[in-house]
Amino acid sequence: MTAVVEVEQLRKSYGAVERLHGISFEVHAGEILGFLGVNGAGKTTTIEILEGYRSRDGGRVSVLGTDPAKATREWRNRIGLVLQECELDPVYTVHETVTMFARYFRRPTDIPATIGAVGLTEKADDRVGRLSGGQKRRLDVALGLVGDPEVLFLDEPTTGLDPVARREMWTMIEGLRRAGKTIFLTTHYMDEAEHLADRIIILRAGEIAAQGTAEKLSEALGYHTEVTFETRPGDEVRELHGALGVDVRIDGPLVSFRTQQVQADLKALLDWAHARGVELTNLQAVRPTLDDVFVQLAGDGGVDASHE
Amino acid sequence: MRAMSDAGLAIAQTRFALRGFLRHSSAFVFTVVFPVILLLLFNAIFKGTTKFDGLNAAEATYYTASIVSYEIMLVSFGSLLVRVTTAREQGLLKRFRGTPMPSWVYLFSEIGRTVVVVCSTVALLVAVGTLFYHVQLSGHLLIGLVVYLVLGVTCFSALALALASFCATADSASAIGPLSATILAFLSGVFIPTSIMPTWLIDLGKAFPLEHMARGLQMAFLVPGSTGLTGVNLGVLVAWGVLGLVVAVRTFRWESRVGL
Repeated sequence: MTAVVEVEQLRKSYGAVERLHGISFEVHAGEILGFLGVNGAGKTTTIEILEGYRSRDGGRVSVLGTDPAKATREWRNRIGLVLQECELDPVYTVHETVTMFARYFRRPTDIPATIGAVGLTEKADDRVGRLSGGQKRRLDVALGLVGDPEVLFLDEPTTGLDPVARREMWTMIEGLRRAGKTIFLTTHYMDEAEHLADRIIILRAGEIAAQGTAEKLSEALGYHTEVTFETRPGDEVRELHGALGVDVRIDGPLVSFRTQQVQADLKALLDWAHARGVELTNLQAVRPTLDDVFVQLAGDGGVDASHE
Repeated sequence: MRAMSDAGLAIAQTRFALRGFLRHSSAFVFTVVFPVILLLLFNAIFKGTTKFDGLNAAEATYYTASIVSYEIMLVSFGSLLVRVTTAREQGLLKRFRGTPMPSWVYLFSEIGRTVVVVCSTVALLVAVGTLFYHVQLSGHLLIGLVVYLVLGVTCFSALALALASFCATADSASAIGPLSATILAFLSGVFIPTSIMPTWLIDLGKAFPLEHMARGLQMAFLVPGSTGLTGVNLGVLVAWGVLGLVVAVRTFRWESRVGL
């Protein structure tokens, strides 16, 4: 696979504070890389260095074979940007806005097709000021696509959108994936990265906390299923630890334990309850979502995940 | 769609900016309608006064010259300052910077838009002056008018781009731009003739470029056979323009100074 973006030991400080502590990664042609982190993790600093907006203090960066710090006009013709906070003049129509931006590029795409790709065909002659938040955001994406870029940078495309608009944005990005676009996507939603990205990098406090496919990430973290139930408080419950060989947490009537052998441990639990005549209510076995994984990895009080 | 030449792009971007200007009704009213209303108002208020600054001329002609100079500053300085800082705050400048469009194309379009708005409004003001207020069109007047238009728009646009670097927000720019144009208009004998102003206020006004542009235009409009072009007037406009240009080139920012 060809690397479209190569980053080695990237460092960036603001004043005395180092925000990126030497991160390294690649984005391959045709993949969507999900760059995930909470606010302040360094996502925007990283993407803005890749986009050529910000200087770096150390390391090597290459986007389409060019150092973004030495951005040329030719290079700008080959990349597409969707910035995080950006407004457009409300008095122009969608079609006028896309047409004007198309003129900046040497090889612009077909304008109606681009408007169609972001699902705004019916709104093409409406003024930008009349669009909903989600529609405006999709227009932003159209402006990123109109130069027919080889790589698209999408900085938090769904932040601030309602759930329906988010889903519409996802559907649109899935369309771009099918078209084979290389996309660098930052987000602070794990479900978004899981849904859209071929590979995920979790950034925490300027370092890569974990990277890999969604499945790899959850495996790496140890996919413990949490079993919970309620029962009458009593001495019997305390025997469970011995019967199951796992740590059992007892909080009043609420009992829980984590396991990687759900079937065996559930059977042991039920056998034990049957033998002792204990009644289990609200019995549940819940697998953690990737959101939980993310909160653990990216949050402040998270586990110290191993670096890859 | 075919790719355009840079010159074609600059023209297209200017037309795009003008189309937006016509749709922003408040901008249109403020920069085109408002000066015409001022011209009518001042002429109504000061009707019958015939002597201004020792120039023996109809007040009507005087105000046509004055409001023309006010319009040049209002649009080239006030509107441009507000537009650039707003576009910067909206992230539009940053977005432009991320496209292959050369930076000069954006600046060209903004100044091109300014030139078109100023010239059409000045033409309107002069037409009103000719029809109702005894303005005599002559070769001398037109030469003076064109030179002051070119120098004025250049000088005040440069100053607007320079000051944009020091306006933290579009909100502060919207106050500073039109406010300074209006205050300077009072200091420069644009709204009130200098003959009834205290000397220290006149001297204060003379430090700024508007006074010299207004004085020159008043001469061109009022004195038959005069272009109103004097070394001092032109020199002060050029000096302020160069200062603005140097500061603008050194300090212009494409992004708001917020966050990291």
